[in-house]
Amino acid sequence: MNPFDLPGPEFLLFFIGLSALALIALVVTRKVAESSAAPKLDLSDPYLIACLRGAEPETLRVAAVSLIDRGLLVATGTQLQASEKASAEAVRRPIEKELLRKFKRAGEASSIFDDSRLSATCKPYEQTLKNAGLLPSEAIAGARWTRLLIACGVLGGVAIIKILIALERGRTNVWFLIILTIVAIVVAVKISFPRLTESGKAMIADLQNLYSGLKDRALSLRPGGATIEPMMLAAVFGVAALEGADFAFTRTLFPRAQAADSWSSSSTASCGSSSCSGSSCGSSCGGGCGGGCGGCGG
Amino acid sequence: MSADRFGLGWRPRLAAGILANLDRIDIVEVIADDYFRAPRHERRALQTLAAQTPVTLHGVSLGLASAVPVETRRLDDMARLCSEVAPEFWSEHLAFVRGGGIEIGHLAAPPRTEATIEGALANLARAKQIVGIAPQVENVATLIDPPGSDRDEASWLAAIVRNSESRLLLDLHNLHANAVNFNFAAKGFLARIPVERIATIHLAGGKWIGRNGAQRLLDDHLHDVPDPVYELLEEVAARAPQPLTVILERDGNFPSIESLLVQLDRARQAVAGGRARTPHLHRHEVAA
Repeated sequence: MNPFDLPGPEFLLFFIGLSALALIALVVTRKVAESSAAPKLDLSDPYLIACLRGAEPETLRVAAVSLIDRGLLVATGTQLQASEKASAEAVRRPIEKELLRKFKRAGEASSIFDDSRLSATCKPYEQTLKNAGLLPSEAIAGARWTRLLIACGVLGGVAIIKILIALERGRTNVWFLIILTIVAIVVAVKISFPRLTESGKAMIADLQNLYSGLKDRALSLRPGGATIEPMMLAAVFGVAALEGADFAFTRTLFPRAQAADSWSSSSTASCGSSSCSGSSCGSSCGGGCGGGCGGCGG
Repeated sequence: MSADRFGLGWRPRLAAGILANLDRIDIVEVIADDYFRAPRHERRALQTLAAQTPVTLHGVSLGLASAVPVETRRLDDMARLCSEVAPEFWSEHLAFVRGGGIEIGHLAAPPRTEATIEGALANLARAKQIVGIAPQVENVATLIDPPGSDRDEASWLAAIVRNSESRLLLDLHNLHANAVNFNFAAKGFLARIPVERIATIHLAGGKWIGRNGAQRLLDDHLHDVPDPVYELLEEVAARAPQPLTVILERDGNFPSIESLLVQLDRARQAVAGGRARTPHLHRHEVAA
């Protein structure tokens, strides 16, 4: 049976099916091509993780909160200013040095998102993530374009052939097919270029799983820079995860982060359960969860 | 350069501290049983952890030291997890954990007899057959001298290690607790076991329980490593020519990560001190 001989409504059904198949193939081939074993990352760097999870804006938010936590930036309402003890020598990372430079004079916290010099300090993080296959590199982006062009070529080619045949047979009711083709191509473009690779998405989910114990203790975390835990929580789950009253300043400084991260938190809640799903409650004690094991012995 | 390695037991509560300090932590020990029935995304997270740092899997529920064969499904679980995570090695206790279908919820010391030696050897052979790698076997602490025993712990343990392919995971706090509870010399114990078969050391802490006159040292993993355990570590390092992996276990009452890292540093010093006492045994390290 030649599909191009199908009458109009039947051909439209055929084309919808073909479009669905092409879109599914686009997604599946991208996921397969961009999946790989987890790479080794510097997990002691909260900015690298923040960059993976929330791109440049989240990297800058976490860096600003980190400097506030260490007393190097002072937050007053929506404004930030370097503290008296702050100096470029007090910090080692370029992003931190640049933030301290920017806020030598008080300024709006939201201005960090429009600063090209700050933006430049995030580029090395993006490059590291691209090299690790967690963000799309040029090669990955090229492969995405190739797959998209093939899908669009198939859909567009089939549509054009059918339109030419219809016109040749004196039929002009081809508008539904043109609209369907445009819709399919727009959807194909939309699904072809996610910010993260499949490995990147998996890495975020895995980190949120590994750090689930930290998220459970979010309310008990205290500021002051004594431990890296608040910053790792912000990096892995978002600044909004700093729920305690001691971190209320983050909600004033970055209200948009709160809205964005509230979605992020809920969407990953199912991944955030403890790894204690077995009998030992994360303990090397011998299965003594239920009411006292009388010591570990192990 | 020493090939000795020093690591921590992975606990979700310590995750941030461990992952932020991988430059000071050589290896991480994960409780395997937590992942046997875990959903796929949790097991994948464990694989991601293994990509960041060497990982070992530590079992707590096989019950190797028993005349009863370990259930195949439990060994299958361990085999599947080992296949997914590719740990450096896996380990399990020489303990008795169930009988007659009843889980006792504790790593109990079995009667030290020929029957439990033979049972353990049979279980270890099956474990190697199914998992593909022989487990390292760990000595356990006990608050009572196992009734029905016809030999002491050192000879029982030595018989199992010498007659199996398994290497020894020597828990020094368990050894210390048993030594003080049953009044034997821990260093004498070391002289009677095949120290050359020790691959891994566990360090932990405990507390005294009971009333005056009937006190026992309980291995609870909730306290810092006591001085005598570091002394035993130095002694093992002095006697054992091979590289050692030293794991600090902490299951609760968590101190700061820095405090745990300080204990790990102290373990490094103890091992270095022991190595320095017997340089003729450790020439390979100098060469390396």
